Amino acid sequence: MNQNESTWNKIAKILKGEVGLLLILVILCVLFAFSSEYFLTAKNILNVTRQISVVLTIAIGMLCVILVGEIDLSVGSTAALAGIACAWVMTTTGSQSMGMLAAVIIGIAVGSFNGVLTVYGRIPSFIVTLASMGIIRGIGLVWTQGKPFSGLPESFSFIGAKHILGVPVSSIVAVILLIIGYFVLHKTKHGVYLKAIGANSEAATLSTIPNNRYKVLSFVVVGMMCAIGGVMTTSKLLTASPTACTGMEMDVLSAVILGGASLSGGIGTITGTALGALIIGIINNGMNMLSISPFFQQIVKGMIILAAVLLKRKNSKA
Amino acid sequence: MAKLEMKLENIKKNFGGIQALKGVDFDLQRGEVHALLGENGAGKSTLIKIITGVHEANEGKIFVRDEEVEIRTPKDARKRGIAAIYQELSLIESLTVAENIYLGNEPTKGVMGVCDRKTLYANSQAYLDKFGIDINPRTMVSDLGMGQKRIVEIVKALAVDSQILLLDEPTTGMSKVEVETLFKIMNNLKENKVTMIYISHYLEEVFKICDRATVLRDGKKIDTFVMKDVTQAQLIKSMIGREIRSQRSRKSKDLSGKAVMLELRSYKTDRMQAPISFAVKKSEILGVTGIVGAGKSELAHSLFGHAKPESGEILIRGKKVILSSTRDAKRYRIALVPEDRKKEGLFLEDSVANNMTIASIDQIENGLGFLDHKKKKKLSVKMGESLKVNPLRVEMPVKNLSGGNQQKVVVAKWLMSDPEIVVMDEPTRGIDVGAKTEIYDLIKGLSRKDKSVIVMSSEFEELMDLCDRILVLRKGEVVGELLPEEVTNERLLSLSLGG
Repeated sequence: MNQNESTWNKIAKILKGEVGLLLILVILCVLFAFSSEYFLTAKNILNVTRQISVVLTIAIGMLCVILVGEIDLSVGSTAALAGIACAWVMTTTGSQSMGMLAAVIIGIAVGSFNGVLTVYGRIPSFIVTLASMGIIRGIGLVWTQGKPFSGLPESFSFIGAKHILGVPVSSIVAVILLIIGYFVLHKTKHGVYLKAIGANSEAATLSTIPNNRYKVLSFVVVGMMCAIGGVMTTSKLLTASPTACTGMEMDVLSAVILGGASLSGGIGTITGTALGALIIGIINNGMNMLSISPFFQQIVKGMIILAAVLLKRKNSKA
Repeated sequence: MAKLEMKLENIKKNFGGIQALKGVDFDLQRGEVHALLGENGAGKSTLIKIITGVHEANEGKIFVRDEEVEIRTPKDARKRGIAAIYQELSLIESLTVAENIYLGNEPTKGVMGVCDRKTLYANSQAYLDKFGIDINPRTMVSDLGMGQKRIVEIVKALAVDSQILLLDEPTTGMSKVEVETLFKIMNNLKENKVTMIYISHYLEEVFKICDRATVLRDGKKIDTFVMKDVTQAQLIKSMIGREIRSQRSRKSKDLSGKAVMLELRSYKTDRMQAPISFAVKKSEILGVTGIVGAGKSELAHSLFGHAKPESGEILIRGKKVILSSTRDAKRYRIALVPEDRKKEGLFLEDSVANNMTIASIDQIENGLGFLDHKKKKKLSVKMGESLKVNPLRVEMPVKNLSGGNQQKVVVAKWLMSDPEIVVMDEPTRGIDVGAKTEIYDLIKGLSRKDKSVIVMSSEFEELMDLCDRILVLRKGEVVGELLPEEVTNERLLSLSLGG
C-alpha cells in the first residue's frame, strides 16, 4: 500500500508540471462527452490511443531532435519508405522479422543521412530535412511505381490491428516506447546532455559534451521511431502505400509543440509530448464523432495549437 | 578658448552599494578628439554609458552646447546629436553601404512613400565625398573589410546629424592601412567641427590622433592632459596612480622541487597569431595577461582541446598529448573556467545542481546508468558549501544567482571533476569584491593542493597578488615574463601596450 502511494505521488508530481495541458484535455473530454454519449466509452478511448500510436511513437523521436535545437520534417516520408521496405523484404524473404529489420535499417539510414548533413555539412536541419522529405518520398514512389504494395500475410496484422486483453497492440508498443523515452530523457545523462546542447551549445561543448555525436544520434533515434511507426501503419492496413503518412510531420510537430517543447531547443518533456499527442488525437476523434467536416477540422486544430501556445506564454511571463 | 561642445559636472553613479563614478568633471571642446583613458574598472564605460543615455547619473549636471540637458535614454542622447560607435558593428551585411547609411530614414518620393533610390545613392555619395572616403555606396557591406565597415558606421551616425561621436576601441581588428584611413577621416571630421571621444588601449594611437586626454581612476577624474605636453610615461603613471609600488612584499614561491605539469612547445592553433612556448609546474599559479585581442582566450580554449593545433606540441607530465576535443582535455584532468560565464559556462535556466554536475555526470550515475538525484544533491550541496555559494539552493535556476555566485557555480562544475590543471579565463570579471576574494582564496587553495593553475586576466592587480609568474602576451606573442619580485603595474602595462 505504501509502495503504491509513493508511486502515485510520483505520478502526481510528474503531472503537476502539465496542469495546463491536463486542463485542456479535461475540457475537451467534457465537451465531447456531452455532445456524444459514445465518446467516453472504454472502447472509444482505446480507439483514440490506437489512432495516435504512430504519431506518438514518432513524436518521441522528434522530441529528441527538437531538444537539441534541430527539426526533422522528413518523418512522414521516412515512415512510408520504411513501411515499403518492410513489405518488400517480407514478401521477398517470407520472413516478418527480416521485414521489420529492413524498416529499422531504413530508419537508421535516413536518420544518419539527415544528422550527418546537418552536423558535419553545417546545413540547417530545416533545409536538410525539407529536401530529404521530398527525396525519400520520391524513392518510395519510384520503388513501388506509385502503387500500394498489398497482399501481406494476415498474420502480420498483429502489431497494427490486433488487441491484447482488449487493448490495441500498437497502443501498447507506443506506451512501452514512451516509458523507455521517459527514463532515457529524464533519468539518464543522455537526456541531460540533449537539453544542455539545445540550451547552450557552446557551454555544452565546454562541459565536455560530445555535441555532434548527440545531434546525429537524435536524428537516428527519430529515424528509428519512424521505422516503427511505418511498420505499425503497414501492419494495420496490410498494405504499404508510398503515400502513407503524408503530412504526418504536422501532427507530430503539433504534438511536440503543444506539449511545451521549445523550437529553439533545450526545453521539452516526454509527458508533455504524450499529452500533446493525446489532445490532438481526441480533437480528431471527437470532431469525427460529431461529423464535423474534415476541412473544418484543420482550422480547429490550428486554432487550438495557437491558443495553447499563447496560453503557455502568458503563464510563463506572469 | 575654443567653444565647449559638452560639459559634465560632478557626475556620480552608484550600482548597488558600489560607487562607480565619484563626482567626475569632463569637458569637450568643439572639434577636438578627446581620449578617455583608465584601467579596467576605472569608470570609463560607466561614463560613456551616461553620456549615451544607457545609464542615468545619480547626481551631476550635463550641458550640451551651453544648455543644461537631461539624458535619460539613448534616444535623448541621439536627439542631442550624440552617437556611439561600439566595438560590435550594427550594420546589416546584406544591404548596400547607402542602404545602411539611410536605414530607417530612407528618402521617399510620391504619395506611396516609395524609396527614392536615386536620391539615396546620390546623397550617400555626397556624404562619402565630403569626408574623403573612397567607398562605393552601392557596395554590399558584406564585401567590405573590417576597417571600411567601421567607417561606414561612422558615416551612418553622421547622416543623422551627430555632432558628438563616441568611438570605443575603433581600431580593433583593423589593419595598419585601415587605421591610417580612419585617422585621415577623423581629421577630416575635425575640420567639419565634429567632436569625438576616443577610447583605446593603444597609447600610440592616442598620441597620434587625440588633442587631449582625460584619465580616470577608481571612479575619479585624475587629470586632463593636452597631448602635445605629455609623455607616455606620465600618462601610464597617472592611469595606475599610487606611486609605483616598486617592491611588493611577495617573494617567489620555491617551486624547485616541483615537477613540470604542462608544457607547450612552439604551439600554435589556427586562431592564434604566433606559436607560444611555456611550462607550468605543479602547485604553480601562472598568470597570463595582455590587452583585448592579445590572444588570451584563444590560448585558454586551445589548452582545453577546443581548437585545432597547427604546429608544435603539448606535453603533460612530460608526455606528448593530443587534445582534439574537450573530452580529451578532461581525460588529462584539465579544466577550463571560460571568460563569458553566461555564454560559455552556464545553462542559465537550469538548476544549480545540474550546472555543477554536468561536466562530471558519470559520478552521479548508478550501476544501471540512471541518474542518482540524491547523490547529485548531496555533491552539489557539499561543493556549494565549500565555495560559499549564497543562497545555496541547489534546485534553483542558476540565473537567479548574483554574478559572483554564478561564477562560483562555473568553478564548482570544474572542481567536481577533480582536475590537475585549471585554466581560468578572467575568473573575476564583473563580480563583486567579496566574491573576488573568495575566488582568490580558492585559487591559492588549489595551488596548495599541488594543482597547476593558469589565470588569464587583464586585471594586473589580481595577477600581481596571485601569481608565481606572469606572462605578457601581445598580438598572440609572449613579449615578457615577470616574477613576483620584478613585477610592477607599470611594467605590465608598458609590455602589453608595446610602449
